[in-house]
Amino acid sequence: MSTGHDEMNCIAAREQFAMLLYGELSFDEEEQVEAHLDGCAECRAVLSQEKAVSASFDAFEIQPPPSLLRSCREELHARLMDEEATPAVTHGSWWAQFTDMLTRRPAWAVLRPMGALTLVALGFLGARLMPGAFFWTGGGRGDLQSMGLVEPQASRVRYVEPGSDGRVQIVLDETRQRVVSGRLDDLKIRALLMTAAKDPSDPGLRAETVDILNTRAQSADVRDLLIYEMKNDKKAGVRLKAMEGLKAFAQEGAVRAALSQVLLTDANPGLRTQAIDLLTGGTNTSGDRQMVSTLQELMQRGEQQDYVRERCRQVLEAMNASAETY
Amino acid sequence: VPIRSGVQMDESALIRAAQAGDHAAFEQLVTAYDQSVLRLAMNLLRSPEDARDVYQEAFLRVFRNLHNFRFDCSFHTWLYRIVTNLCLDQMRKRKVRKEEPSILNTPEGLLDRMDSVPEERVDGDPQRYLFSGQVRIRIKEVLGQLTPRERMVFELRHYQGLRLRRIGEILGTTEEAAKNCLFRATQKMRTGLGEFI
Repeated sequence: MSTGHDEMNCIAAREQFAMLLYGELSFDEEEQVEAHLDGCAECRAVLSQEKAVSASFDAFEIQPPPSLLRSCREELHARLMDEEATPAVTHGSWWAQFTDMLTRRPAWAVLRPMGALTLVALGFLGARLMPGAFFWTGGGRGDLQSMGLVEPQASRVRYVEPGSDGRVQIVLDETRQRVVSGRLDDLKIRALLMTAAKDPSDPGLRAETVDILNTRAQSADVRDLLIYEMKNDKKAGVRLKAMEGLKAFAQEGAVRAALSQVLLTDANPGLRTQAIDLLTGGTNTSGDRQMVSTLQELMQRGEQQDYVRERCRQVLEAMNASAETY
Repeated sequence: VPIRSGVQMDESALIRAAQAGDHAAFEQLVTAYDQSVLRLAMNLLRSPEDARDVYQEAFLRVFRNLHNFRFDCSFHTWLYRIVTNLCLDQMRKRKVRKEEPSILNTPEGLLDRMDSVPEERVDGDPQRYLFSGQVRIRIKEVLGQLTPRERMVFELRHYQGLRLRRIGEILGTTEEAAKNCLFRATQKMRTGLGEFI
Protein backbone atom coordinates (compact mmCIF):
# COMPACT_ATOMS: atom_id res chain seq x y z
CA MET A 1 0.00 0.00 0.00
CA SER A 2 1.41 3.35 -0.91
CA THR A 3 1.87 5.99 1.72
CA GLY A 4 -0.51 8.87 1.51
CA HIS A 5 -3.38 6.70 0.30
CA ASP A 6 -5.67 4.93 2.71
CA GLU A 7 -6.90 1.39 2.04
CA MET A 8 -10.37 2.55 1.01
CA ASN A 9 -8.99 4.77 -1.69
CA CYS A 10 -7.03 1.91 -3.22
CA ILE A 11 -9.98 -0.48 -3.03
CA ALA A 12 -12.34 2.09 -4.49
CA ALA A 13 -9.90 2.92 -7.25
CA ARG A 14 -9.34 -0.72 -8.15
CA GLU A 15 -13.04 -1.37 -8.36
CA GLN A 16 -13.17 1.18 -11.13
CA PHE A 17 -10.33 -0.28 -13.15
CA ALA A 18 -12.49 -2.47 -15.36
CA MET A 19 -14.78 0.42 -16.28
CA LEU A 20 -11.73 2.62 -16.76
CA LEU A 21 -10.31 0.16 -19.26
CA TYR A 22 -13.65 0.02 -21.06
CA GLY A 23 -13.86 3.81 -21.12
CA GLU A 24 -17.17 3.68 -19.31
CA LEU A 25 -16.39 6.05 -16.44
CA SER A 26 -17.80 9.53 -16.29
CA PHE A 27 -15.38 12.43 -16.57
CA ASP A 28 -15.37 12.97 -12.80
CA GLU A 29 -14.96 9.29 -11.98
CA GLU A 30 -12.05 8.99 -14.37
CA GLU A 31 -10.44 12.08 -12.88
CA GLN A 32 -10.63 10.61 -9.38
CA VAL A 33 -9.12 7.29 -10.44
CA GLU A 34 -6.32 8.94 -12.37
CA ALA A 35 -5.56 11.28 -9.50
CA HIS A 36 -5.23 8.26 -7.27
CA LEU A 37 -3.04 6.43 -9.77
CA ASP A 38 -0.67 9.39 -9.96
CA GLY A 39 0.30 8.86 -6.37
CA CYS A 40 -0.04 5.09 -5.99
CA ALA A 41 2.55 2.83 -7.58
CA GLU A 42 0.83 -0.31 -6.30
CA CYS A 43 -2.42 0.56 -8.01
CA ARG A 44 -0.57 1.36 -11.21
CA ALA A 45 0.92 -2.12 -11.06
CA VAL A 46 -2.50 -3.65 -10.42
CA LEU A 47 -3.93 -1.70 -13.34
CA SER A 48 -1.15 -2.97 -15.53
CA GLN A 49 -2.02 -6.53 -14.52
CA GLU A 50 -5.68 -5.91 -15.23
CA LYS A 51 -4.75 -4.77 -18.69
CA ALA A 52 -2.86 -8.01 -19.20
CA VAL A 53 -5.85 -10.04 -18.03
CA SER A 54 -8.10 -8.08 -20.36
CA ALA A 55 -5.69 -8.74 -23.22
CA SER A 56 -5.78 -12.45 -22.45
CA PHE A 57 -9.56 -12.36 -22.92
CA ASP A 58 -9.07 -10.56 -26.23
CA ALA A 59 -7.23 -13.55 -27.52
CA PHE A 60 -10.00 -15.87 -26.39
CA GLU A 61 -12.35 -14.63 -29.10
CA ILE A 62 -13.01 -16.83 -32.09
CA GLN A 63 -13.87 -15.74 -35.58
CA PRO A 64 -16.46 -17.86 -37.40
CA PRO A 65 -14.90 -19.72 -40.33
CA PRO A 66 -15.71 -18.14 -43.70
CA SER A 67 -17.30 -21.36 -44.90
CA LEU A 68 -19.78 -21.25 -42.01
CA LEU A 69 -20.81 -17.73 -42.92
CA ARG A 70 -21.12 -18.75 -46.55
CA SER A 71 -23.29 -21.76 -45.84
CA CYS A 72 -25.44 -19.69 -43.45
CA ARG A 73 -26.03 -17.18 -46.23
CA GLU A 74 -26.88 -19.90 -48.73
CA GLU A 75 -29.33 -21.50 -46.37
CA LEU A 76 -30.92 -18.19 -45.47
CA HIS A 77 -31.27 -17.29 -49.12
CA ALA A 78 -33.07 -20.56 -49.80
CA ARG A 79 -35.33 -20.13 -46.80
CA LEU A 80 -36.18 -16.57 -47.79
CA MET A 81 -37.13 -17.70 -51.25
CA ASP A 82 -39.30 -20.32 -49.70
CA GLU A 83 -40.76 -17.86 -47.22
CA GLU A 84 -41.64 -15.50 -50.02
CA ALA A 85 -43.46 -18.26 -51.82
CA THR A 86 -45.49 -18.99 -48.70
CA PRO A 87 -47.57 -15.90 -48.01
CA ALA A 88 -49.74 -17.71 -45.48
CA VAL A 89 -47.06 -17.43 -42.85
CA THR A 90 -45.79 -13.96 -43.59
CA HIS A 91 -46.62 -10.34 -43.18
CA GLY A 92 -49.02 -9.35 -40.55
CA SER A 93 -51.96 -11.67 -40.73
CA TRP A 94 -53.50 -12.80 -37.46
CA TRP A 95 -52.05 -16.19 -38.27
CA ALA A 96 -48.55 -14.80 -38.76
CA GLN A 97 -48.88 -12.81 -35.55
CA PHE A 98 -50.00 -15.89 -33.70
CA THR A 99 -47.17 -18.09 -34.94
CA ASP A 100 -44.72 -15.25 -34.46
CA MET A 101 -45.90 -14.86 -30.88
CA LEU A 102 -45.12 -18.51 -30.35
CA THR A 103 -41.63 -18.14 -31.68
CA ARG A 104 -40.69 -14.65 -30.51
CA ARG A 105 -40.82 -15.12 -26.78
CA PRO A 106 -37.64 -16.35 -25.13
CA ALA A 107 -39.55 -19.31 -23.71
CA TRP A 108 -40.74 -20.39 -27.14
CA ALA A 109 -39.38 -23.87 -26.76
CA VAL A 110 -41.52 -24.38 -23.68
CA LEU A 111 -44.57 -22.87 -25.33
CA ARG A 112 -44.30 -24.83 -28.52
CA PRO A 113 -46.13 -27.96 -27.30
CA MET A 114 -48.90 -25.73 -25.95
CA GLY A 115 -48.96 -24.01 -29.28
CA ALA A 116 -49.23 -27.33 -31.01
CA LEU A 117 -52.31 -28.21 -29.02
CA THR A 118 -53.79 -24.80 -29.62
CA LEU A 119 -53.24 -25.02 -33.33
CA VAL A 120 -55.24 -28.19 -33.40
CA ALA A 121 -57.94 -26.64 -31.25
CA LEU A 122 -58.25 -23.77 -33.68
CA GLY A 123 -59.61 -26.22 -36.14
CA PHE A 124 -57.75 -25.09 -39.16
CA LEU A 125 -57.10 -28.67 -40.03
CA GLY A 126 -60.76 -29.48 -39.89
CA ALA A 127 -61.39 -26.81 -42.46
CA ARG A 128 -59.19 -28.62 -44.92
CA LEU A 129 -59.69 -32.22 -44.12
CA MET A 130 -63.33 -32.64 -43.37
CA PRO A 131 -65.27 -31.22 -46.27
CA GLY A 132 -69.01 -31.44 -46.23
CA ALA A 133 -71.40 -30.89 -49.09
CA PHE A 134 -75.08 -30.17 -49.34
CA PHE A 135 -77.60 -29.48 -52.02
CA TRP A 136 -79.09 -26.07 -51.98
CA THR A 137 -82.56 -25.94 -53.40
CA GLY A 138 -83.78 -22.58 -52.17
CA GLY A 139 -84.96 -19.86 -54.50
CA GLY A 140 -83.57 -16.59 -53.11
CA ARG A 141 -82.20 -13.79 -55.26
CA GLY A 142 -78.78 -12.21 -55.49
CA ASP A 143 -75.31 -13.65 -55.58
CA LEU A 144 -73.93 -16.22 -53.18
CA GLN A 145 -72.23 -13.76 -50.91
CA SER A 146 -75.13 -11.39 -50.66
CA MET A 147 -77.18 -14.38 -49.61
CA GLY A 148 -74.66 -14.95 -46.86
CA LEU A 149 -74.18 -18.46 -48.03
CA VAL A 150 -70.48 -18.74 -48.41
CA GLU A 151 -67.05 -17.35 -48.05
CA PRO A 152 -65.48 -17.48 -51.48
CA GLN A 153 -62.58 -19.66 -50.30
CA ALA A 154 -64.75 -22.01 -48.28
CA SER A 155 -67.14 -23.05 -51.01
CA ARG A 156 -67.22 -23.64 -54.71
CA VAL A 157 -69.80 -24.53 -57.29
CA ARG A 158 -69.46 -28.16 -58.26
CA TYR A 159 -71.99 -28.05 -61.13
CA VAL A 160 -75.14 -26.34 -62.27
CA GLU A 161 -78.25 -27.88 -63.71
CA PRO A 162 -80.94 -25.94 -65.57
CA GLY A 163 -84.51 -26.65 -64.52
CA SER A 164 -87.59 -26.73 -66.73
CA ASP A 165 -89.23 -23.67 -65.11
CA GLY A 166 -86.36 -21.28 -65.71
CA ARG A 167 -84.81 -21.97 -62.38
CA VAL A 168 -81.37 -23.48 -61.92
CA GLN A 169 -80.05 -25.97 -59.45
CA ILE A 170 -76.53 -25.39 -58.18
CA VAL A 171 -74.48 -27.94 -56.33
CA LEU A 172 -71.90 -26.46 -53.96
CA ASP A 173 -68.90 -28.09 -52.43
CA GLU A 174 -68.63 -26.32 -49.12
CA THR A 175 -66.00 -26.54 -46.45
CA ARG A 176 -67.10 -26.12 -42.90
CA GLN A 177 -64.70 -25.39 -40.09
CA ARG A 178 -64.78 -27.74 -37.20
CA VAL A 179 -62.78 -27.61 -34.01
CA VAL A 180 -60.80 -30.71 -33.26
CA SER A 181 -58.83 -30.70 -30.08
CA GLY A 182 -56.54 -33.26 -28.53
CA ARG A 183 -53.05 -34.13 -27.49
CA LEU A 184 -50.30 -35.01 -29.88
CA ASP A 185 -50.14 -38.59 -28.66
CA ASP A 186 -53.81 -39.08 -29.56
CA LEU A 187 -53.70 -41.30 -32.66
CA LYS A 188 -56.61 -39.50 -34.33
CA ILE A 189 -54.99 -36.13 -33.85
CA ARG A 190 -51.74 -37.49 -35.11
CA ALA A 191 -53.43 -38.98 -38.17
CA LEU A 192 -54.87 -35.54 -38.97
CA LEU A 193 -51.47 -33.98 -38.59
CA MET A 194 -49.88 -36.63 -40.79
CA THR A 195 -52.42 -35.87 -43.49
CA ALA A 196 -51.93 -32.12 -43.11
CA ALA A 197 -48.17 -32.57 -43.43
CA LYS A 198 -48.75 -33.81 -46.98
CA ASP A 199 -51.39 -31.28 -48.01
CA PRO A 200 -50.13 -30.28 -51.44
CA SER A 201 -52.11 -27.05 -51.53
CA ASP A 202 -50.59 -25.26 -48.57
CA PRO A 203 -46.82 -25.26 -47.88
CA GLY A 204 -47.37 -23.03 -44.86
CA LEU A 205 -49.63 -25.63 -43.31
CA ARG A 206 -47.12 -28.35 -44.10
CA ALA A 207 -44.29 -26.36 -42.51
CA GLU A 208 -46.22 -25.67 -39.32
CA THR A 209 -47.42 -29.26 -39.09
CA VAL A 210 -43.95 -30.69 -39.58
CA ASP A 211 -42.72 -28.30 -36.89
CA ILE A 212 -45.30 -29.72 -34.51
CA LEU A 213 -44.55 -33.32 -35.45
CA ASN A 214 -40.84 -32.71 -34.88
CA THR A 215 -41.58 -32.83 -31.17
CA ARG A 216 -42.70 -36.44 -31.61
CA ALA A 217 -39.89 -37.66 -33.84
CA GLN A 218 -39.15 -40.45 -31.39
CA SER A 219 -42.20 -42.26 -32.83
CA ALA A 220 -41.33 -44.42 -35.81
CA ASP A 221 -44.41 -43.40 -37.80
CA VAL A 222 -43.65 -39.70 -37.33
CA ARG A 223 -40.03 -40.30 -38.23
CA ASP A 224 -41.10 -42.06 -41.44
CA LEU A 225 -43.23 -39.08 -42.32
CA LEU A 226 -40.38 -36.66 -41.62
CA ILE A 227 -38.10 -38.73 -43.83
CA TYR A 228 -40.71 -38.60 -46.59
CA GLU A 229 -41.08 -34.83 -46.21
CA MET A 230 -37.33 -34.26 -46.10
CA LYS A 231 -36.91 -36.18 -49.34
CA ASN A 232 -40.02 -35.18 -51.24
CA ASP A 233 -41.58 -31.90 -50.17
CA LYS A 234 -41.52 -29.32 -52.94
CA LYS A 235 -40.59 -26.53 -50.54
CA ALA A 236 -37.07 -26.33 -49.20
CA GLY A 237 -38.33 -24.72 -46.00
CA VAL A 238 -40.51 -27.74 -45.25
CA ARG A 239 -37.69 -30.12 -46.10
CA LEU A 240 -35.41 -28.20 -43.75
CA LYS A 241 -37.92 -28.37 -40.94
CA ALA A 242 -38.28 -32.11 -41.42
CA MET A 243 -34.52 -32.44 -41.31
CA GLU A 244 -34.43 -30.52 -38.03
CA GLY A 245 -36.75 -33.08 -36.52
CA LEU A 246 -34.50 -35.90 -37.67
CA LYS A 247 -31.26 -34.41 -36.34
CA ALA A 248 -31.39 -36.43 -33.14
CA PHE A 249 -31.78 -39.62 -35.16
CA ALA A 250 -28.97 -39.01 -37.64
CA GLN A 251 -27.26 -42.24 -36.64
CA GLU A 252 -30.22 -44.42 -37.62
CA GLY A 253 -29.95 -46.35 -40.87
CA ALA A 254 -33.13 -45.12 -42.52
CA VAL A 255 -32.39 -41.52 -41.61
CA ARG A 256 -28.82 -41.79 -42.86
CA ALA A 257 -30.00 -43.28 -46.14
CA ALA A 258 -32.42 -40.38 -46.55
CA LEU A 259 -29.72 -37.85 -45.67
CA SER A 260 -27.44 -39.46 -48.26
CA GLN A 261 -30.17 -39.10 -50.85
CA VAL A 262 -30.66 -35.44 -49.94
CA LEU A 263 -26.93 -34.87 -50.18
CA LEU A 264 -26.79 -36.49 -53.59
CA THR A 265 -29.95 -35.13 -55.15
CA ASP A 266 -31.36 -32.08 -53.38
CA ALA A 267 -30.95 -28.80 -55.23
CA ASN A 268 -30.92 -26.67 -52.10
CA PRO A 269 -27.39 -25.82 -50.84
CA GLY A 270 -28.56 -25.21 -47.26
CA LEU A 271 -30.12 -28.64 -47.06
CA ARG A 272 -27.07 -30.30 -48.52
CA THR A 273 -24.82 -28.47 -46.07
CA GLN A 274 -26.91 -29.65 -43.15
CA ALA A 275 -27.11 -33.16 -44.57
CA ILE A 276 -23.36 -33.55 -44.80
CA ASP A 277 -22.89 -32.12 -41.32
CA LEU A 278 -25.37 -34.61 -39.92
CA LEU A 279 -23.91 -37.51 -41.84
CA THR A 280 -20.34 -36.78 -40.86
CA GLY A 281 -20.85 -35.18 -37.47
CA GLY A 282 -21.57 -38.28 -35.45
CA THR A 283 -19.14 -40.34 -33.46
CA ASN A 284 -20.01 -43.63 -35.08
CA THR A 285 -19.30 -42.98 -38.71
CA SER A 286 -16.01 -44.79 -39.13
CA GLY A 287 -17.60 -47.96 -40.49
CA ASP A 288 -20.30 -46.31 -42.52
CA ARG A 289 -19.65 -47.68 -45.99
CA GLN A 290 -22.74 -46.08 -47.44
CA MET A 291 -21.56 -42.67 -46.30
CA VAL A 292 -18.11 -43.25 -47.74
CA SER A 293 -19.56 -44.25 -51.09
CA THR A 294 -21.86 -41.23 -51.03
CA LEU A 295 -18.97 -38.90 -50.35
CA GLN A 296 -16.85 -40.56 -52.99
CA GLU A 297 -19.65 -40.26 -55.50
CA LEU A 298 -19.90 -36.57 -54.78
CA MET A 299 -16.19 -36.13 -55.30
CA GLN A 300 -16.24 -38.20 -58.45
CA ARG A 301 -18.90 -36.13 -60.10
CA GLY A 302 -17.12 -32.90 -59.22
CA GLU A 303 -19.11 -31.44 -56.37
CA GLN A 304 -19.76 -27.75 -57.03
CA GLN A 305 -20.58 -26.58 -53.53
CA ASP A 306 -17.29 -25.53 -51.87
CA TYR A 307 -18.27 -26.41 -48.36
CA VAL A 308 -19.64 -29.84 -49.26
CA ARG A 309 -16.59 -30.64 -51.37
CA GLU A 310 -14.18 -29.61 -48.63
CA ARG A 311 -16.10 -31.51 -45.99
CA CYS A 312 -16.09 -34.62 -48.18
CA ARG A 313 -12.38 -34.36 -48.61
CA GLN A 314 -11.77 -33.91 -44.87
CA VAL A 315 -13.92 -36.85 -43.87
CA LEU A 316 -12.55 -39.17 -46.51
CA GLU A 317 -9.01 -38.25 -45.53
CA ALA A 318 -9.80 -38.80 -41.87
CA MET A 319 -11.12 -42.25 -42.73
CA ASN A 320 -8.17 -43.01 -44.99
CA ALA A 321 -10.60 -43.41 -47.85
CA SER A 322 -9.73 -42.29 -51.31
CA ALA A 323 -11.43 -39.29 -52.79
CA GLU A 324 -10.65 -40.49 -56.29
CA THR A 325 -10.85 -44.27 -56.49
CA TYR A 326 -13.91 -46.39 -55.99
CA VAL B 1 -23.14 1.74 -44.75
CA PRO B 2 -24.19 -0.93 -47.23
CA ILE B 3 -23.31 -0.41 -50.87
CA ARG B 4 -25.86 -0.96 -53.58
CA SER B 5 -25.16 -0.94 -57.27
CA GLY B 6 -22.07 1.12 -56.71
CA VAL B 7 -24.06 3.80 -54.95
CA GLN B 8 -23.86 4.25 -51.23
CA MET B 9 -27.34 3.83 -49.89
CA ASP B 10 -28.55 5.29 -46.67
CA GLU B 11 -29.51 2.50 -44.30
CA SER B 12 -32.98 3.83 -43.70
CA ALA B 13 -33.55 3.90 -47.47
CA LEU B 14 -32.36 0.33 -47.61
CA ILE B 15 -34.77 -0.66 -44.84
CA ARG B 16 -37.66 1.09 -46.56
CA ALA B 17 -36.82 -0.64 -49.81
CA ALA B 18 -36.73 -3.99 -48.02
CA GLN B 19 -40.03 -3.18 -46.35
CA ALA B 20 -41.46 -2.57 -49.80
CA GLY B 21 -40.39 -6.06 -50.84
CA ASP B 22 -37.00 -5.37 -52.39
CA HIS B 23 -35.14 -8.64 -51.88
CA ALA B 24 -31.79 -7.24 -52.91
CA ALA B 25 -32.13 -4.51 -50.30
CA PHE B 26 -32.97 -7.05 -47.64
CA GLU B 27 -29.99 -9.21 -48.51
CA GLN B 28 -27.75 -6.15 -48.33
CA LEU B 29 -29.05 -5.48 -44.85
CA VAL B 30 -28.25 -9.07 -43.96
CA THR B 31 -24.73 -8.96 -45.30
CA ALA B 32 -24.11 -5.65 -43.54
CA TYR B 33 -24.69 -7.27 -40.16
CA ASP B 34 -24.54 -11.02 -40.44
CA GLN B 35 -20.85 -11.44 -39.75
CA SER B 36 -21.12 -9.77 -36.38
CA VAL B 37 -24.32 -11.68 -35.64
CA LEU B 38 -22.64 -14.98 -36.41
CA ARG B 39 -19.56 -14.01 -34.42
CA LEU B 40 -21.69 -13.11 -31.41
CA ALA B 41 -23.64 -16.35 -31.58
CA MET B 42 -20.53 -18.43 -32.15
CA ASN B 43 -18.68 -16.93 -29.21
CA LEU B 44 -21.61 -17.18 -26.85
CA LEU B 45 -22.80 -20.63 -27.84
CA ARG B 46 -19.49 -22.13 -28.99
CA SER B 47 -21.26 -24.41 -31.39
CA PRO B 48 -21.35 -23.78 -35.13
CA GLU B 49 -24.62 -25.65 -35.35
CA ASP B 50 -26.30 -23.57 -32.67
CA ALA B 51 -24.80 -20.40 -34.09
CA ARG B 52 -26.22 -21.35 -37.48
CA ASP B 53 -29.66 -21.90 -35.94
CA VAL B 54 -29.55 -18.50 -34.26
CA TYR B 55 -28.43 -16.88 -37.50
CA GLN B 56 -31.27 -18.41 -39.49
CA GLU B 57 -33.95 -17.77 -36.91
CA ALA B 58 -32.84 -14.20 -36.31
CA PHE B 59 -32.86 -13.14 -39.94
CA LEU B 60 -36.08 -14.99 -40.69
CA ARG B 61 -37.72 -13.08 -37.84
CA VAL B 62 -36.33 -9.86 -39.21
CA PHE B 63 -37.74 -10.74 -42.61
CA ARG B 64 -41.14 -11.60 -41.21
CA ASN B 65 -41.38 -8.54 -39.00
CA LEU B 66 -39.55 -5.87 -40.94
CA HIS B 67 -42.86 -4.30 -41.88
CA ASN B 68 -43.35 -3.58 -38.16
CA PHE B 69 -40.03 -1.77 -37.83
CA ARG B 70 -40.89 1.90 -37.22
CA PHE B 71 -37.41 3.42 -36.83
CA ASP B 72 -38.00 3.92 -33.09
CA CYS B 73 -34.47 2.64 -32.60
CA SER B 74 -31.60 1.84 -34.90
CA PHE B 75 -31.88 -1.24 -37.08
CA HIS B 76 -28.76 -2.58 -35.38
CA THR B 77 -30.40 -2.33 -31.96
CA TRP B 78 -33.58 -3.95 -33.24
CA LEU B 79 -31.66 -6.80 -34.87
CA TYR B 80 -29.50 -7.34 -31.81
CA ARG B 81 -32.57 -7.51 -29.57
CA ILE B 82 -33.69 -10.47 -31.61
CA VAL B 83 -30.27 -12.09 -31.68
CA THR B 84 -29.51 -11.60 -27.99
CA ASN B 85 -32.90 -12.99 -27.00
CA LEU B 86 -32.28 -16.10 -29.07
CA CYS B 87 -28.78 -16.52 -27.63
CA LEU B 88 -29.89 -15.92 -24.04
CA ASP B 89 -32.59 -18.51 -24.50
CA GLN B 90 -30.04 -21.04 -25.73
CA MET B 91 -27.59 -20.20 -22.96
CA ARG B 92 -30.21 -20.58 -20.26
CA LYS B 93 -31.15 -23.95 -21.59
CA ARG B 94 -27.52 -24.96 -21.57
CA LYS B 95 -26.77 -23.61 -18.14
CA VAL B 96 -27.38 -27.05 -16.72
CA ARG B 97 -24.04 -27.98 -18.20
CA LYS B 98 -21.22 -27.33 -15.82
CA GLU B 99 -18.59 -26.75 -18.40
CA GLU B 100 -18.62 -25.69 -22.00
CA PRO B 101 -16.34 -27.42 -24.46
CA SER B 102 -13.45 -25.39 -25.72
CA ILE B 103 -13.15 -27.69 -28.72
CA LEU B 104 -15.38 -26.52 -31.53
CA ASN B 105 -16.43 -28.64 -34.45
CA THR B 106 -16.31 -26.14 -37.29
CA PRO B 107 -16.66 -26.64 -41.00
CA GLU B 108 -12.88 -26.14 -41.17
CA GLY B 109 -12.40 -29.01 -38.77
CA LEU B 110 -11.87 -29.12 -35.04
CA LEU B 111 -10.92 -25.80 -33.56
CA ASP B 112 -9.75 -25.28 -30.02
CA ARG B 113 -10.54 -21.71 -29.15
CA MET B 114 -7.85 -21.91 -26.50
CA ASP B 115 -5.35 -22.26 -29.32
CA SER B 116 -5.94 -18.63 -30.10
CA VAL B 117 -4.68 -17.64 -26.67
CA PRO B 118 -0.99 -16.93 -27.07
CA GLU B 119 1.58 -19.01 -25.27
CA GLU B 120 4.07 -17.50 -22.88
CA ARG B 121 5.76 -14.47 -24.28
CA VAL B 122 9.45 -14.75 -24.87
CA ASP B 123 10.31 -11.13 -24.28
CA GLY B 124 10.77 -11.52 -20.55
CA ASP B 125 7.66 -9.52 -19.81
CA PRO B 126 6.83 -9.93 -16.11
CA GLN B 127 3.18 -10.63 -17.02
CA ARG B 128 4.01 -13.58 -19.20
CA TYR B 129 2.70 -16.04 -16.61
CA LEU B 130 -0.74 -14.67 -17.36
CA PHE B 131 -0.63 -16.50 -20.62
CA SER B 132 0.32 -19.83 -19.18
CA GLY B 133 -1.75 -22.93 -19.66
CA GLN B 134 -3.23 -22.54 -16.21
CA VAL B 135 -4.62 -19.15 -17.07
CA ARG B 136 -6.10 -20.48 -20.28
CA ILE B 137 -7.93 -23.17 -18.40
CA ARG B 138 -9.04 -20.69 -15.77
CA ILE B 139 -10.40 -18.26 -18.35
CA LYS B 140 -12.59 -21.00 -19.71
CA GLU B 141 -13.86 -21.83 -16.24
CA VAL B 142 -14.49 -18.22 -15.32
CA LEU B 143 -16.45 -17.50 -18.49
CA GLY B 144 -18.49 -20.59 -17.79
CA GLN B 145 -19.33 -19.30 -14.32
CA LEU B 146 -20.91 -16.07 -15.53
CA THR B 147 -24.67 -15.91 -15.70
CA PRO B 148 -26.10 -15.74 -19.23
CA ARG B 149 -26.81 -12.02 -18.79
CA GLU B 150 -23.34 -11.29 -17.44
CA ARG B 151 -21.83 -13.30 -20.23
CA MET B 152 -23.95 -11.45 -22.77
CA VAL B 153 -23.03 -8.01 -21.48
CA PHE B 154 -19.36 -8.96 -21.32
CA GLU B 155 -19.47 -10.34 -24.86
CA LEU B 156 -21.22 -7.26 -26.23
CA ARG B 157 -18.84 -4.86 -24.47
CA HIS B 158 -15.56 -6.68 -24.66
CA TYR B 159 -15.74 -8.44 -28.02
CA GLN B 160 -18.37 -6.53 -29.95
CA GLY B 161 -17.19 -3.19 -28.59
CA LEU B 162 -20.66 -1.80 -27.94
CA ARG B 163 -21.13 1.02 -25.46
CA LEU B 164 -23.09 0.27 -22.31
CA ARG B 165 -25.83 2.69 -23.37
CA ARG B 166 -26.40 0.67 -26.53
CA ILE B 167 -26.18 -2.61 -24.64
CA GLY B 168 -28.88 -1.36 -22.28
CA GLU B 169 -31.11 -0.52 -25.25
CA ILE B 170 -30.57 -3.93 -26.78
CA LEU B 171 -31.27 -5.82 -23.58
CA GLY B 172 -34.22 -3.65 -22.66
CA THR B 173 -32.63 -2.20 -19.57
CA THR B 174 -30.83 0.94 -18.44
CA GLU B 175 -27.24 1.86 -19.04
CA GLU B 176 -26.73 1.71 -15.29
CA ALA B 177 -28.09 -1.84 -15.07
CA ALA B 178 -25.85 -2.90 -17.94
CA LYS B 179 -22.93 -1.30 -16.16
CA ASN B 180 -23.72 -3.16 -12.95
CA CYS B 181 -23.92 -6.38 -14.91
CA LEU B 182 -20.55 -5.76 -16.54
CA PHE B 183 -19.13 -4.82 -13.16
CA ARG B 184 -20.30 -8.11 -11.66
CA ALA B 185 -18.85 -10.00 -14.60
CA THR B 186 -15.46 -8.34 -14.30
CA GLN B 187 -15.46 -8.82 -10.52
CA LYS B 188 -16.11 -12.51 -10.98
CA MET B 189 -13.33 -12.71 -13.50
CA ARG B 190 -10.96 -10.84 -11.27
CA THR B 191 -11.85 -13.17 -8.39
CA GLY B 192 -11.57 -16.22 -10.60
CA LEU B 193 -8.19 -15.18 -11.89
CA GLY B 194 -7.12 -13.78 -8.54
CA GLU B 195 -4.21 -16.13 -8.04
CA PHE B 196 -2.74 -15.00 -11.34
CA ILE B 197 -3.09 -11.28 -10.72
